[in-house]
Amino acid sequence: MEQLITSIPALPIISAILTQALASRLDRRVAWLSVTMLALTFALTVVILVAHLAGFDSQVVGATHSWGILLNDPLSAIMGVLISGISLIVHIYSVRYMAEEPGYARFFVLLDLMTASLLVMVAAGDLITLLVAWHFIGILLYFLLGYDMRRQSPFRYAFWTFITYRIGDIAMVAAAAILYYAYGSWSLTDIFSGIQNNPNVSGLMGMTAVQTAAVLLALAAFARSAQFFLHNWLPYSMDGPTPVSALMHAGIVNAGGFLINRFAPVFVQAGDVLHGLFIVGLVTAVIGSVLMLTQNDVKKSLGYSTMGQMGFMIMECGVGAFSLAIYHLIAHGLFKGTLFLSAGSVINAARGDDGVPKNDLYKFVVERRPAQQRPPWLLMAAITLIVPASVLFMAHWLVSQDFFQKQGVIVLLFFGWVTGAQLIFSTYRMRAESTGRLLTMVLASFTVVVVGYTLIAHAFELFLYPQAYFRELMHSASSFNVLWFDIMVIVTTVVIVLGWLLTYYSERNGKRVRRQPKRVWLSFYALISREFYIADVYAWLTRVTLRFAESLNVWLRWA
Amino acid sequence: MSLPVLLVAGLFLPLFPFSMLFNVLYARVRHPVLRGVLLLVWPQIGLAIILMSSASIPPWLPVWALLTSLLYALRALALRELGLWTSFIATSAWALVWIVLSSGASMTQLQWVGLGISAPLLLMAFLVAGLEHRFGAAYLDLYGGLAQTIPRYTTVLVIVILAIIASPLFPTFFAMLSIIIKVFPVRPSMAIGVGVVWLLWSWAGARVLQGLIIGPGHRDVVDLKQASLWLYLLLLAGLIVSGVYGLGGML
Repeated sequence: MEQLITSIPALPIISAILTQALASRLDRRVAWLSVTMLALTFALTVVILVAHLAGFDSQVVGATHSWGILLNDPLSAIMGVLISGISLIVHIYSVRYMAEEPGYARFFVLLDLMTASLLVMVAAGDLITLLVAWHFIGILLYFLLGYDMRRQSPFRYAFWTFITYRIGDIAMVAAAAILYYAYGSWSLTDIFSGIQNNPNVSGLMGMTAVQTAAVLLALAAFARSAQFFLHNWLPYSMDGPTPVSALMHAGIVNAGGFLINRFAPVFVQAGDVLHGLFIVGLVTAVIGSVLMLTQNDVKKSLGYSTMGQMGFMIMECGVGAFSLAIYHLIAHGLFKGTLFLSAGSVINAARGDDGVPKNDLYKFVVERRPAQQRPPWLLMAAITLIVPASVLFMAHWLVSQDFFQKQGVIVLLFFGWVTGAQLIFSTYRMRAESTGRLLTMVLASFTVVVVGYTLIAHAFELFLYPQAYFRELMHSASSFNVLWFDIMVIVTTVVIVLGWLLTYYSERNGKRVRRQPKRVWLSFYALISREFYIADVYAWLTRVTLRFAESLNVWLRWA
Repeated sequence: MSLPVLLVAGLFLPLFPFSMLFNVLYARVRHPVLRGVLLLVWPQIGLAIILMSSASIPPWLPVWALLTSLLYALRALALRELGLWTSFIATSAWALVWIVLSSGASMTQLQWVGLGISAPLLLMAFLVAGLEHRFGAAYLDLYGGLAQTIPRYTTVLVIVILAIIASPLFPTFFAMLSIIIKVFPVRPSMAIGVGVVWLLWSWAGARVLQGLIIGPGHRDVVDLKQASLWLYLLLLAGLIVSGVYGLGGML
């Protein structure tokens, strides 16, 4: 088994070396060598995952050093399958897609090395190995995004990615320093057992070592997963080749969620840090979604969509639903990867016929034609409040009867409720020939999604965190003050009720055009269409720093 | 450590403004071999001076060293001449040795750090000479497109710059790691400063890459010979091995 575990990251490295060495001899056929090696890697990761599903225990594969340790546990097994699977698809896709590009072999070498780094990252059993893999990913991504060395612009945006990742890298080094200092070992298993025995070792600024490390690890995760203020690289890094975008959005940007899961024993002892994750994730999810809706550039819009999803993933960690974040990153990885890889074919097909059916949904979303005949608003309002809540309650009741004790779950339940309410609200505004049918379809799909999501998340939780006490710890760590919880429940309910009252009011008073809100709305639109001027601020800071450095050189006569 | 000894050591493990001497000297010396010797020997002289004097380091000295390191890392951002860039990064990196010294590292560890920092810079000195020989000057944004024009040379240049900016698994990476790991729990502000230096090096390195290797190939220039490429790659592999088993092994 040990050989199998070490073979998983070793195979892509061997593939990279062979691809480079045989490139001149095999020409374009060298890509198939890389694909074959990746297929083998994928097969091995599947074997490991099946072994874990069959009850194989976690295992540490050690090196003679204090570092270089690989950890084979359910988390590394499931992430290994995801990474090698997506990487294999990207490899196969690239065989033809990149065929006309110069540096064909270099592309596959970089892809192989990136896959190896990602596999080492998810299996790292000590802090140094994790740091090495973590740093490598940033560097390799820089060269993958800037693959076309004839043009400046891909490198410009690759640099944004690189420097943001570096900020996270340094936070990660600091977190490693604190954990090593507090628990005297590089090994993750030793550190985690140390934390379990003594979580109150003192750290910095009145915090415990665990809290300090959790803050720094969260910062590292924010940089990697494009959380608000560290997100600018993501929507602008679309200038790289499409397969790289697919790999990045499906496998690399999710690293933040993985990191939080890997360090779950740290985060569950870090108290308020989890609430901080929730807030940052929430802000990122909202801003990412708002910016996605206002972009003219489709690729940028996709970038912001990923940002929103990453926000939601971090938010899930913040409410103690760690395993749900893993499920989310897998689901997001698969659908976003598919979206990127099929984008070219879709654009090509849409040139002939866009294939969009001119149905009710089309009229509402694209032509923006709201309904003239609508179902009774009171009935719809009642459905809005009752149905999503009932579906969510039912879903959680299916998996666990004591969900009322888990605040984090209830917080997620509320988000599901708001989403459901929004969906029904939109349905109400749509022009539909058969409102009843449409509503039934909406409710049925909502139920399937929520119940499915909840059941799968529960299965993931049992698989990734089999110890019952640790699951309890996760839920209790993310619980917060009852007052705040009640405030959130009340605010959410009031917002939904107010929305319906507004609908009632506007129906009663007809369509009056009010000028003042329109101006405010336009100003807001201008603000978000310029992406809150964050990129402009960063560009200004860069210019000022470079000018200052130039002035220093002149004053000090270049010595 | 007495003040005169400190001042002399501050010339070789550069502390601003004494650091200006090394940079003036490096700019005057044009021959790559002499530059290489300077890069290898200069910090070792500083370490030898410290070794001979047994007194402890005053607490304000690491702060001075960090400020020197920050100053040169920042100034390296605005440089376009690669020779000067090499000497500025060397100054910035060597200054950090004082911080390692103050954290109670052994002399062997210090010598590894000194050599680990100097070795990729030495390779850079030879690469700069190669560029001057081919293009008449080693300047950013002057010709560009090296990746198209001389791909073998570009491969070596990219790896050497990655080694200089402390990428894994080079000795510089482990040196930066050991500095932050030793300093952060006791003086976190100092460790944050070292982190900023690392960030500035990365930025400076990326600017060099973008100013040299990107763009259309435009000149008929002779690339590195296959033998030279292998020699460089062998030396870089040696650096990685020394990083993993030298400084990496001490962690």
